[in-house]
Amino acid sequence: MTATTLAPPPPASASRSGRAPIGRLTWLLSRPTAQTKAVLALPAIAFAVTTALLLIVLGGVMMFWRWTIADADLYQMLSVIALVLLIVPLIALGGAAARLSARRRDDRLATLRLIGATPGVVTRMTVLESTAVATLGALAGVVLYLIAMPIVGLLPFQGEPIGAGALWVGPGAILLVILAVAALAAVSAAIGLRQVTISPLGVRTRQSAPRLHWSRVVVSVVAILAAYVMLGSLGSSGDWMLTIIVLGTGLGIGVGILNLIGPWAIGMAARLALRRAKTASRLIAARSILESPKATWRQVSGVAMTSFIAVVAGTGVSFMDQFQGDYDAPTRMLMADIRTGILVTVLISFLMVACSVGVNQAAGILDRRDLYVSLDRLGMPRSVIEQSRSRAILGPLRFTTFGSALVGGVLVFPLTSLALIFAPVSLVVIVGCLVAGVLMVWGTIKATAPVMTRVLSEPERM
Amino acid sequence: MNFFTPPQPTNAMPPANSAQRPPILTGSSLVKTYGSSTALAGVDIAIAAGESVAIMGASGSGKTTLLHTLAGITPSDSGHVGFYSASGLVDVTAMNESERSRLRREAFGFVFQQGLLIPELTALENTALPLMLAGYPRREAEGRAQHWLVALGLGGMETRRIGELSGGQAQRVAIARAQVTGATVVFADEPTGALDSATSEDVMSALLGSTVGQGHALVVVTHDETVAARCSRVVRLRDGRVLSHTAVGTTFGSNAVTA
Ligand SMILES: Nc1ncnc2c1ncn2[C@@H]1O[C@H](COP(=O)(O)OP(=O)(O)OP(=O)(O)O)[C@@H](O)[C@H]1O
Ligand SMILES: [Mg+2]
Repeated sequence: MTATTLAPPPPASASRSGRAPIGRLTWLLSRPTAQTKAVLALPAIAFAVTTALLLIVLGGVMMFWRWTIADADLYQMLSVIALVLLIVPLIALGGAAARLSARRRDDRLATLRLIGATPGVVTRMTVLESTAVATLGALAGVVLYLIAMPIVGLLPFQGEPIGAGALWVGPGAILLVILAVAALAAVSAAIGLRQVTISPLGVRTRQSAPRLHWSRVVVSVVAILAAYVMLGSLGSSGDWMLTIIVLGTGLGIGVGILNLIGPWAIGMAARLALRRAKTASRLIAARSILESPKATWRQVSGVAMTSFIAVVAGTGVSFMDQFQGDYDAPTRMLMADIRTGILVTVLISFLMVACSVGVNQAAGILDRRDLYVSLDRLGMPRSVIEQSRSRAILGPLRFTTFGSALVGGVLVFPLTSLALIFAPVSLVVIVGCLVAGVLMVWGTIKATAPVMTRVLSEPERM
Repeated sequence: MNFFTPPQPTNAMPPANSAQRPPILTGSSLVKTYGSSTALAGVDIAIAAGESVAIMGASGSGKTTLLHTLAGITPSDSGHVGFYSASGLVDVTAMNESERSRLRREAFGFVFQQGLLIPELTALENTALPLMLAGYPRREAEGRAQHWLVALGLGGMETRRIGELSGGQAQRVAIARAQVTGATVVFADEPTGALDSATSEDVMSALLGSTVGQGHALVVVTHDETVAARCSRVVRLRDGRVLSHTAVGTTFGSNAVTA
């Protein structure tokens, strides 16, 4: 089964009868030069991390589904929610890898046209290559998963470490995940290719950034008010089951709102930043966000979801914590476990976001190497280039993280005020987690600086 | 003005006329090799203030390499580059990377074949960028940039982004960007290479007017004889050596100055 993913039969056999041996051409042209190495390694790493995290999360979910204790159904429901939430950053990661694939095709088109290949051949080659790279990455991810199992196994649920074995998903699931990752790569490469049929820069520069309609804001405000009233009516009833249901609904509404107003809010903030920009790096950063607030949102939305959920759910836990005395031991255990679950979900989500930001940044540098080389030649200091790059992500990230946390806070305000009084520890943990997440992304951007160094030190012949 | 003297194969030396005006940039015995290929095999050249020099030669003859070496973009393997700044002679060859970067930012201007402007920024912002890097407040930087854009016939296009400009307009924005800080030498590598001949004429006029017209020097690499004919001097390269220095038009009297 794995063998088939490495060499998809239909295109390969079709071309064998025709002119271009796609598999061999792909292999020939994939052989690493300094630059292609980075272009191939980046998505491979991204896919490896994705696979490892997916397997760990899946292992956790499956573990809960094997449970037979009294509250098992609650654990199962919550684990599925966590899984669903992690899909947002997962898709962002896939999209990032797809952009790199698209870039590969542009490079190739030039080379291959010279030897007379049709765009179709090039497309198939690129899809094949993306799939192969993703499969290799996924295999590395399985190794990563095996290494991480004992460490993640230390996490306590139901009062004791779950143990490495509990996270084992079995060979069938591993195979399925590898296939799914490969398929994701193939599909997103194909989609990515369609989007760059016109030159990527040409598409990007044509007109000014679209303004989002104000109706989104109205809808959002109404929804927030509705959710607020609903959560407010929850009052201080100590019924945790009801609390979870209401919080779950509020959470769903909140996620919807965030997606509705996220890009719009990022655009507004960037417009403000543009007007106030005093330095070159701030100006460039604000302009590049405005270029496509949606694309920026896509990169940081995983964080937005997570911080929102962390606040809503975490506050819920703090809220319930205050009735600790009224609860029996199993319920208290459940509270602690929910908190652990939230933290784990937040961390995994940040890890995915950091990874996709890293891939996006590296891809962005390679995409625009001509521009960066020319700016360097003009004498633009390296620090300005780097600052504008990190500002264009960290600005929206900070804004989004704390903005979504704020929306979450507003939604659960009746609970938050109590929680702050009775269980500040829980909130401190959540805020700490969010700050750590921002730092993680910051570190990722820093980690892509060597790519820039290489681009600038080995400028393409012009 | 518009006539062209065919190249005369000679062992080239810096032209005698460099004594007429003070040199602003000199390169002596410049050698640059890439692996086994020799891009520059001992080039001597002097650029005088306010003159326009066209560098010509076959593909691979070392034009871009010479331009980059003179501009402090690429360090040469041996030889010297000297720049006569307001405060005296500076040895570009002895500068480190960040000093050269600063020199390029403050004393030189650049125009490349494909504008290479920042696509997200407007024409005005692109032009104002070098001034902002030099520490001008944004308002003042944009005010000066505005003047240059108007002078180059781009009035009314300030808020357009680069993708919304034609190739010739984008190239004029690049010229404005190169001169907005008052650079004493502007380097242009095939600035008209991607333009049709009429647009090429316009861009070349803009380039000459905003450099030589201001008393600044222009070094332009080109394959286009009509472009070269509008410069005061043509330097021809072959295999990393100067083949000939040819004075064009009336600026330096005789047609071919060789020694
Ligand atoms: N970065 C580099 N790495 C390796 N070789 C290089 C590099 N840059 C230039 N060369 C070599 O140096 C020689 C001169 O190159 P250069 O770019 O200066 O030529 P050119 O005259 O500008 O050509 P063109 O008209 O095609 O732009 C060529 O043989 C080229 O192959
Ligand atoms: Mg060249």
